[in-house]
Amino acid sequence: MSLHVFGIRHHGPGCARSLRQALHELQPDILLVEGPPEGSTQLSWLGHEDLKPPVALLVYPPDAPQRAAFYPFAVFSPEWQALQYAHQQGLPARFIDLPRAQALVLDVGAAEAEHSSGDDDPPQLDAPALPNGPAQPHGPQQSAGAPSSAAAVPAHDPPLRDWSEEVADDPLGVLALAAGYSDRELWWEHQVEQRLDPSGLFQGIMEAMAALREECRATRRAAGSTPATGPAYGNGRTLEALREASMRQGIRAAQQEGYQRIAVVCGAWHAPALRDPGPARDDALLLKGLPRVKVEVAWVPWSYTRLCLRSGYGAGVASPGWYEHLWEARERAGLRWAARAARLLRQRDLDASAASVIEAVRLAEALAALRGLPMPGLAELNEAILSALCAASPARLRLIQQQLEVGHRLGRVPADAPAVPLQRDLEAQQRRLRLRPTTEQKVLDLDLRNETDRARSQLLHRLLLLEIAWGQPEEVGGKAGTFHEYWRLEWQVEFSVSLIEASVWGQTVAEAAANRGRDLADKAQDLSALTELLDRAMLAGLPELVTHVIGRLQAHAAVSADVRQLMDSLPALARVIRYGDVRATSVQQVLPIFGGLFERALVGLPGACSALGDQAAEEMAASIGRAQESLDLLDRPEESSAWRQLLMRLLEDDSIHGLLRGWCCRLLLEQRAIDADMLHRQARLALSAAVPPRQAAAWVEGLLRGSGLVVLHHDPLWQALDAWLQDLSHEVFVELLPMVRRAFAGFHPPERRAMAEKVRRLGAAAAAPATLPTQPGQEAPLNTERASLVLPVLARVLGVAAHKGHMGENAS
Amino acid sequence: MAKSKATASSTKDKAEPASPAAGGDGVLSELQRKHAEQEFAEELAELARCDDRPRPPNWKLSPWAVRTYLLGGKLPHGYEITPKYVGNARLIEISVATLATDRALLLSGLPGTAKSWVSEHLAAAICGDSTMLVQGTAGTDETALRYGWNYARLLAEGPSLGALVPSPMMRAMQTGKLARVEELTRISSDVQDTLITILSERTMPIPELDTEVQARRGFNVIATANNRDKGVNELSSALMRRFNIVVLPTPETLEQEVEIVERRVAQLGRTLALPAEKPALEEIRRVVTIFRELREGVTLDGKTKVKSPSGTLSTAEAISVVNNGLAMAGYYGDGTLRAGDLAAGITGAIVKDPIQDRVVWLEYLQTVVKDREGWKDLYRACREVV
Repeated sequence: MSLHVFGIRHHGPGCARSLRQALHELQPDILLVEGPPEGSTQLSWLGHEDLKPPVALLVYPPDAPQRAAFYPFAVFSPEWQALQYAHQQGLPARFIDLPRAQALVLDVGAAEAEHSSGDDDPPQLDAPALPNGPAQPHGPQQSAGAPSSAAAVPAHDPPLRDWSEEVADDPLGVLALAAGYSDRELWWEHQVEQRLDPSGLFQGIMEAMAALREECRATRRAAGSTPATGPAYGNGRTLEALREASMRQGIRAAQQEGYQRIAVVCGAWHAPALRDPGPARDDALLLKGLPRVKVEVAWVPWSYTRLCLRSGYGAGVASPGWYEHLWEARERAGLRWAARAARLLRQRDLDASAASVIEAVRLAEALAALRGLPMPGLAELNEAILSALCAASPARLRLIQQQLEVGHRLGRVPADAPAVPLQRDLEAQQRRLRLRPTTEQKVLDLDLRNETDRARSQLLHRLLLLEIAWGQPEEVGGKAGTFHEYWRLEWQVEFSVSLIEASVWGQTVAEAAANRGRDLADKAQDLSALTELLDRAMLAGLPELVTHVIGRLQAHAAVSADVRQLMDSLPALARVIRYGDVRATSVQQVLPIFGGLFERALVGLPGACSALGDQAAEEMAASIGRAQESLDLLDRPEESSAWRQLLMRLLEDDSIHGLLRGWCCRLLLEQRAIDADMLHRQARLALSAAVPPRQAAAWVEGLLRGSGLVVLHHDPLWQALDAWLQDLSHEVFVELLPMVRRAFAGFHPPERRAMAEKVRRLGAAAAAPATLPTQPGQEAPLNTERASLVLPVLARVLGVAAHKGHMGENAS
Repeated sequence: MAKSKATASSTKDKAEPASPAAGGDGVLSELQRKHAEQEFAEELAELARCDDRPRPPNWKLSPWAVRTYLLGGKLPHGYEITPKYVGNARLIEISVATLATDRALLLSGLPGTAKSWVSEHLAAAICGDSTMLVQGTAGTDETALRYGWNYARLLAEGPSLGALVPSPMMRAMQTGKLARVEELTRISSDVQDTLITILSERTMPIPELDTEVQARRGFNVIATANNRDKGVNELSSALMRRFNIVVLPTPETLEQEVEIVERRVAQLGRTLALPAEKPALEEIRRVVTIFRELREGVTLDGKTKVKSPSGTLSTAEAISVVNNGLAMAGYYGDGTLRAGDLAAGITGAIVKDPIQDRVVWLEYLQTVVKDREGWKDLYRACREVV
């Protein structure tokens, strides 16, 4: 009976190749792989033709799916190759890591430790060991599962630490440093991945790691510190110890079942701990009594982007695209790489000739020789491509780098395999709400009074928060009732990938949307972004998110200095207060914020209104309008009266842009805060000859914003306008015409017609006040004598001296 | 024509006695400026002695040794090689590897980023001869890249090899050495394109004699180009394709730049035999700081924006400013470099345009130099000059 432990680097193509060869030579009868044992059941899918890497094994507790962990595999992952080998040979294969079911329980405690020690590595439950796991400077290998940890992964920038911690955190880094490399990845690449002769490779790794572990333990003992590789779980049980104990137990089980040649594939760091399992007693004791939870397992499609560190939740590979080349055609990787770069350049319409490709490859090879490498690595190739293909212009290289180094490859998972919880949740909701995803476009009219439609709207809004634009809200012209929503639905195939991507945020649509919104809120820099988010949160029906955004708003409102932003954020808050959300608490929270914002806007507005250009005045007017709209929505007499007083002040202030004064006048008029006399006076003042014509025209434009009906019946206003227009010189009139036209352009045709009637009558009244006291539109000739006979009677019936009044007005 | 003949023969004359003279220090020490292979002859010899790696055909040193020569290092027997280029080692590696693959090298970058310096030392290390030089100017014609004629012999003997005056390029091809083309982009496009045949076919046809010169192994071309003057005569893409391009950047950090200036000033001071003592590091640091700040348009602490003058303010200029200051201190001062000795040089380097640059420099003096601690002397000295 023999036991063979292969310490590998996750996602190392050189390791994968060597491992494959070693397995062929060994001919084991069972394969044990570091990974969650729960996943063993899913190994039956391995031979399925629709299971195409990159894929990931997802392990999640169904009741708390946000604690899921991903175990990604690419075609060049040694584990994947080993499993494929086992499948082809019909060997039994098992995962032997600490069951995720148990690790999860520990995770709860770990989460706190993770937050308390920002610069330390997060717990490595999900990180499958070294070289790539805990050693990664970019966060844990696979903790991408939980949004909390994805967000909490610190951008690793380790300060100087003492030696023992350094070894524990980054054993390979220490080895690389000892070998004179500053870059750990580069060292591994040169030492292991580029090795042409794999014999003795695993032995070498084993010895190096054994020495390193010994060194690490010794320094730790000397320092008297607790192991730094993760929090301890009582009795000195570290996660690492537990995981290794569990793996040893797995090996012993296989030994007891009588397998003769056992092959174990694990992260290099763990290899020395597994080569001699020894007696089971200690491990059994260690593992005894660990609680467990229920978990489920699924295959999910993965992408190279997700595999790449650059995407944020580092999975540990800088250039999956390069690794794939290395795996597929190792001897010709450089040539293919340069050729691919040339193709990509050509796609971008940049010259890249075949001759240049040849030169790039030759240069890379010469560089490798100069640096004493057996073959050009990524660094050499990139430098050669930059020099020979890109004319030394880094911009050109950057143009293709993402596609070249990372690639857009997506994995595939059989349709009948278990799916991600988020996808399942969405499918369930789609069924429940009878919304079938189809790729054809259709328009959906939702009546929000109806419960199903409301749920549909919420689902679509939530998906939008997750950037899955299945439905786009349609802008509807005219007076569509506020209880109607129009959506344009179109399902796109890519959404299934977006769903996977989104599943880092949570495992149900509601939860994921809330978490994503939370993240957006935390990153938002200004008030308007936050208020917009607040709106979206309300529409999506996510009360927790609303509460969170309100909290952020509160924090931001205190520091925001821009009056326009303050005013712009009012309507969303007002909507929360007015229509609320079902939970009264948030209204209670919002009111003081609204009050605070409003007060600050009130104080800042006069200052913010002075010295504005036309464009700025236009924007300011819109903001004032929004503030007014918010006040109209709420019944708050004190604030409304303060607001009116402020508008009154603005109205009187000559230094303010005419548009704003006109607009204030208009707003006050609507609220009946000024009467006809006042309006008249204002109009005369604003349109008097001393006022520059442009300002006067702007005043008119401000006054005539919105509906025309309000001003239609103020004759003195029209007369003042008329007088002003007539006084304009020819040149100035021509200059102002566009402004005046614009002022009237916003009205509906019926309003415009009514105004034209008014103007006509104005002219007529001025020309012949005595002959045409009544409707000028009436064409029929009037017998004045006869008609006057009726008047006394009529006056009596009405009880007024109508005729006299009319005449008086016209006379004035 | 007479001119080209004269220069061609004079370079020939110079090359002839120079090589035997390499051993005799007496003649060499009379030279105003020594070639790299003369100045660093000892280092090259030491390198060659312990260089056991394979060498490309006709190379004097292996690529590893060339790299060590340029970047500096310690030889196995303890001999110290001084660094010739301080900066990114990768750029030198790419350059050496390019030349090792028989492909032409184009060093490009701002003025004063050590392009010619690197090219000279590469040539010195690789073929022991940095004199096959064609200086590119707007007036460079084809004869400078190909060959000219000795008209007296041409008339007397008719077209013959004897009447032919080879260009440095042609001689490099015949001897399998490196030819250097300085300021390639200043040469007019039609003349530039002469290089295409040379670089791709590695041959130079002589139709008049119905013959050709085929390059021996080891022949290659190092060109330098200034990317400020990019628009002057842009390389045709056919030519561009025959070069591997390496962009030499301005020094990355203040410390790097100070080191370069200090090293070069010390070397130059030795050759010029200036009577002043070695400049204080502090003065060099001040000059480099001013140059960097003006070049980058922001002060080193990143807090104040300053305007950039029209000149490039390269490291090379900083070196000459310090050198100039040293001479001033040596001949007119007390032998110690002080702010007053530097002021005129700094001002001269910065104020290239008498109106705009003067404003820039005054603004910088008032807003940055004036208030900087310990810079009062420099401020006063500069104000006197401006």
